[in-house]
Amino acid sequence: MENVVSGISEISAGGKQGRSLPRAIFGLAALAAVLVLPGCATYSAGFVNVENATANRDLDGAVKSLDDLKLTGPDETLHHLNKGVLLRLQGKYADSNKHFDAAKSLMEKLSAISITEQAASVTVNDTMKAYEGLPSEQLMVYSFEALNYLQMGDVDDAAVEARQFDVKQGLIVEKNKNAKYLSGAFVRYLNGMVYEAVGERDSARIEMKKALDGYKVQNSGFPIPQGLKDDLRRLEAGKTASSEVVFILHNGLGASVDENNIRVANPMPGANGPVMFSLAVPKFVKRSLPVARVVLSAGSSSATSEVVEDVNGIAEKSFNDRLPTIIARGVARMVVKNVASQKAKEQAGGNPLFNLGADILTNASERADTRSWSLLPGNIQMARLALPAGKYDLTATYYSAHGNILATREFKDVEVKAGRKAFVSDYFLNPPAAAKAAN
Amino acid sequence: MLSKRTWAVMLAGVAVLMLSGCATEVKRIGVEEVKDLSGNWNDTDSRLVSEEMIRDSLSTGWLTRHEQKSKKAPTVIVGNVRNLSHEHINTRTFIADLERAYVNSGRVDVVASKTEREGLREERADMDLHASETSRKAAGNEAGADYMLMGTINTIIDASGGEQIRFYQIDLTLVSTVDNRKVWTGQKKLKKDVKDAKFR
Repeated sequence: MENVVSGISEISAGGKQGRSLPRAIFGLAALAAVLVLPGCATYSAGFVNVENATANRDLDGAVKSLDDLKLTGPDETLHHLNKGVLLRLQGKYADSNKHFDAAKSLMEKLSAISITEQAASVTVNDTMKAYEGLPSEQLMVYSFEALNYLQMGDVDDAAVEARQFDVKQGLIVEKNKNAKYLSGAFVRYLNGMVYEAVGERDSARIEMKKALDGYKVQNSGFPIPQGLKDDLRRLEAGKTASSEVVFILHNGLGASVDENNIRVANPMPGANGPVMFSLAVPKFVKRSLPVARVVLSAGSSSATSEVVEDVNGIAEKSFNDRLPTIIARGVARMVVKNVASQKAKEQAGGNPLFNLGADILTNASERADTRSWSLLPGNIQMARLALPAGKYDLTATYYSAHGNILATREFKDVEVKAGRKAFVSDYFLNPPAAAKAAN
Repeated sequence: MLSKRTWAVMLAGVAVLMLSGCATEVKRIGVEEVKDLSGNWNDTDSRLVSEEMIRDSLSTGWLTRHEQKSKKAPTVIVGNVRNLSHEHINTRTFIADLERAYVNSGRVDVVASKTEREGLREERADMDLHASETSRKAAGNEAGADYMLMGTINTIIDASGGEQIRFYQIDLTLVSTVDNRKVWTGQKKLKKDVKDAKFR
């Protein structure tokens, strides 16, 4: 094994020239440390301002804080995903979709392998890799875009998103065959509504059926939405939809990823470093969900919400599936860094100051990849209130798990057209101090 | 300390990172030049559709039949072209091409669309107040359309691994506003094999 790694240095040219490769790797780590150290805080720690402003309903402030983070280069996808959410929450649906589109096209581009990024992730750290989003995050983009179009009253474009989702979900399942949680049940439920709105009743029925099957296999720990079952039964019976308000709540925040230092055995101890490595790995931190249920009312009519997507639960499963690969890459990285560091130390002739510097650089460049689409909701709730055509003032009341009223929101002059659905959405986050509750 | 060589490698790396993409490069290309970047619907697709539709609709029998029957040029209005595809497609490009071909052929009259008409009506109402009597245009003289142009764009996508077969079918129809008869249907099919890059 030792020969394999130290062999790297000899492959290039052998002799004196070949010995410079560990130093080049070490140089790269040193350079990365210089670049990374000034912004030493992890991504998730830097994101707190954005989350706090969002929780305080200061969305302009949140957009500013997000822009200040200057998420570019490998983090560009995260900028678009989070900005898309903030603009959506502000009701700037068209602008929001521009960012989601940009995120989607980056995700497509990033699905190709970058040799340089792969090399950097094995020699420096995982944050050197461009963020392409967890598969579960990639699926959620389609639902937000569709919702944005629906809230703009543009059902044809929402249907384009539904069709794109179908292709994307197929490809994601192809790559993650055992990941039942990637069934996209919620998005399909929504897409069923979209297809029905554009008059494609057969597609609607098929999509609702797939959603039902998806909820069953993903086994998320919440009941299959009754609204979905009713819709499917109605579509199968060939009956048309009645007019209604569909209320969507982005409830709480998705998981935060923290940095966690674990100790793993060095597969090549001895001359190439310590017996145990300290490895920085990401740790999934679930955040508490503020709203247990929503009651949507218009005059004397009211409806209670159902959980339609456990975003947190799905993200956790997606994360856990990736963790073994992250750890394996981390171990490989520590081996490479230690070999490079040892070789560099040898060439420096045992200068103690250099040795200390080398050890610091080896560890300082080690950072866990704590990036995630932080502004995803923790879960999504949907309340469906059947109403005859007309204009309504709606009230949404948010209840905690203990039955306390957390907030009441008014939505004025919501127009419901005959036989159509009117989509309304809102979000609720815990106040900043409590936002980062332990799981 | 680090050798000169190591510093050189690091500096070269930094220089490459900083210098690449320093300025935006613009090169003008001909409108008929085919350049496929992502595999999505693009200008070439739109042009192929308009060429086919123009050729087909001006050469088929509906036009002569109308001319023989009513002894005047048919009047067409552009209705809705529904996008039932997987992409957000701008249908106005090839519809505008078709409108232009109709008007310039001198054989088909095209009347303004619903939104365009609203603007014109506002202008006429404004003329009533502000224009001189000789140049003022009265309401109620609009030309009614004989036919409405409608259509759909459909796609079928078969994707696996890094490869996609994209099939587009564009159907346009001229429907008589008198009796809903379809007097012409045009169709264009396009197929693309899109392979994603494995490396970047």
